[in-house]
Amino acid sequence: MTHQLKDGSQVLQVGMLARVEGEGGMHIEIKDGVVESVKLNIFEPPRFYEAFLRGRKYTEPPDITARICGICPVAYQSASTEAIEAIAGAVTTPEIQAMRRLLYCGEWIESHSLHIFMLHAPDFLGYDSVIEMAADYGPVVEMALRLKKAGNDLMELVGGRAIHPVNVKVGGFYRMPTKAQMLALRPALERGLEEAFETVKLVSTFDFPDMEQPYEYVALRHPDYYAIERGTVVSTSGVTFPVSEFPKHIKEFHVEHSNALHAKFDDTMYMVGPLARYTLNFHQLSDRCKEAALAAGLGETCRNQFKSIIVRAVELAYAFEEALRIIDGWKDGAAPSVPVGPAKGEGMGASEAPRGIIFHRYVTDENGIIEDAQIVPPTSQNQPSIELDLKTAAQKWVDMDDHALTHLCEHAIRNYDPCISCATHFLDLRIKRS
Amino acid sequence: MTDQAAPRGGPLVVGLGSPDQGDDAVGLEIARAVEALGLPGVCTAIHEDPTALLHLWEGFDVVVVVDAVMTGRPPGAITVIEVGAGKAQLPPEAWAATGRGGTHAFGLATAVELARVLGRLPRRVTVVGIEAASFAQGTALSPEVAASVDDAVAIVGAVARDRVRSVA
Repeated sequence: MTHQLKDGSQVLQVGMLARVEGEGGMHIEIKDGVVESVKLNIFEPPRFYEAFLRGRKYTEPPDITARICGICPVAYQSASTEAIEAIAGAVTTPEIQAMRRLLYCGEWIESHSLHIFMLHAPDFLGYDSVIEMAADYGPVVEMALRLKKAGNDLMELVGGRAIHPVNVKVGGFYRMPTKAQMLALRPALERGLEEAFETVKLVSTFDFPDMEQPYEYVALRHPDYYAIERGTVVSTSGVTFPVSEFPKHIKEFHVEHSNALHAKFDDTMYMVGPLARYTLNFHQLSDRCKEAALAAGLGETCRNQFKSIIVRAVELAYAFEEALRIIDGWKDGAAPSVPVGPAKGEGMGASEAPRGIIFHRYVTDENGIIEDAQIVPPTSQNQPSIELDLKTAAQKWVDMDDHALTHLCEHAIRNYDPCISCATHFLDLRIKRS
Repeated sequence: MTDQAAPRGGPLVVGLGSPDQGDDAVGLEIARAVEALGLPGVCTAIHEDPTALLHLWEGFDVVVVVDAVMTGRPPGAITVIEVGAGKAQLPPEAWAATGRGGTHAFGLATAVELARVLGRLPRRVTVVGIEAASFAQGTALSPEVAASVDDAVAIVGAVARDRVRSVA
């Protein structure tokens, strides 16, 4: 919708940006063909989870924080359990870590399949929604639903629920699924794996706007595998540090136009998410994933955020591979958890949510009561890069008509699969020309 | 009661929502109460994820979906919408009556309309919406919504019985 204001400036407004989670606003000002200002206005009220956690028992963060988001609860559970276990000095078993990774594979499959097909593909194929897209791409959408269901089923088996898992506890799980239960999912996971590789091929045929950004990428790196559930922090500038040093390098700060804190990495802007993971950890992908990625036109690094849909598809295939690997190697009989008692101290944990690193820090007293809590979700960290992507895109394609430019800007936002509910929720996108 | 694959057969009653978010649990409560009625031929299911509807209702000809809604009516008010394959696609503003619930921008409205386009929408789908007062984390049903559960169960039960008769 275009409005002509009394002062002669022009405002283009999208009442609600579709296909993102949460409520916020975007304001772009263009004067004499120059983009002067871009602000991602996240006006969803602060949700106060960090304050809710104070005074609660050390055993509660996995259940409380999982409610922050319906699409990445395992990210919260993984980071919070790791942080609490660090306070107590608890060491979990390889079996518990494998089961956490399997649960997390379910979340990646759920989240990536939803975003690739339901939220992001319509941008590339010229539809306003997946409903319109389904009329022309019915078999593709049916495949998307199968992929999503495979993730849901894995989450239900390991986590007890498809959306907000209830089987996760500090120290591990309340119960382990049996090998027989997991093997029952194998046919759907095998089909999902092949369909994920079909997805890589499909999305590689899309047209991608030519826009690369030189951001500092920050991701976790696992010693043995492409990082998902844990790791140490690595960056494209070569800085590496354990998660316990996250607060020394990542500083949050408030900006007036957002209710979600922004963040800087060693005083510079940075980005987390699929492109960062892929660029930093390409070497840890399976040979088949690497081959599929290269055949899809990606290099060993990726700096075009519009191509994040290909990277997500590669990660989708990887998550299926990992799920099958873990299931095939599983032996029943492992203890579901290790004991973790109350302890005084400070602990930190981080994991790779589908949209990037999530960090948790807790301070507890000798009775295990939480005195302080800090949660740094990925969308908060990516706000500055989303804004700079918008500024770059709006300037690069400033001669587009308002309708096309608005759509491109919305697409640029959805490249990040932003979860504003996590960051603090609705985008009101405005472009003002004068 | 199942949260995944309901047995095939008579009308299916699906309660949608989250058990830990105030009035969002009302769909689950009502589905459980309908199950407790033991209505012959009526299957029930609960789920948190609206995308699951496309699999849950596979093979069913008639379905009742119960969910919390926010339309601006008084808390506890009950809204009934017919959305099955025999009906025309509802305009987006009609779906405002079902709120914006769901997983990551994929709510009940998207599930129903996507199923319609894919030819996976049961012939008769009745959405029974209960006006919510609050979705606050970790809270129980609000008094107004709790007070409407019996009426909603009666409505869902009546719709399901009618469906049994129509199927028979």
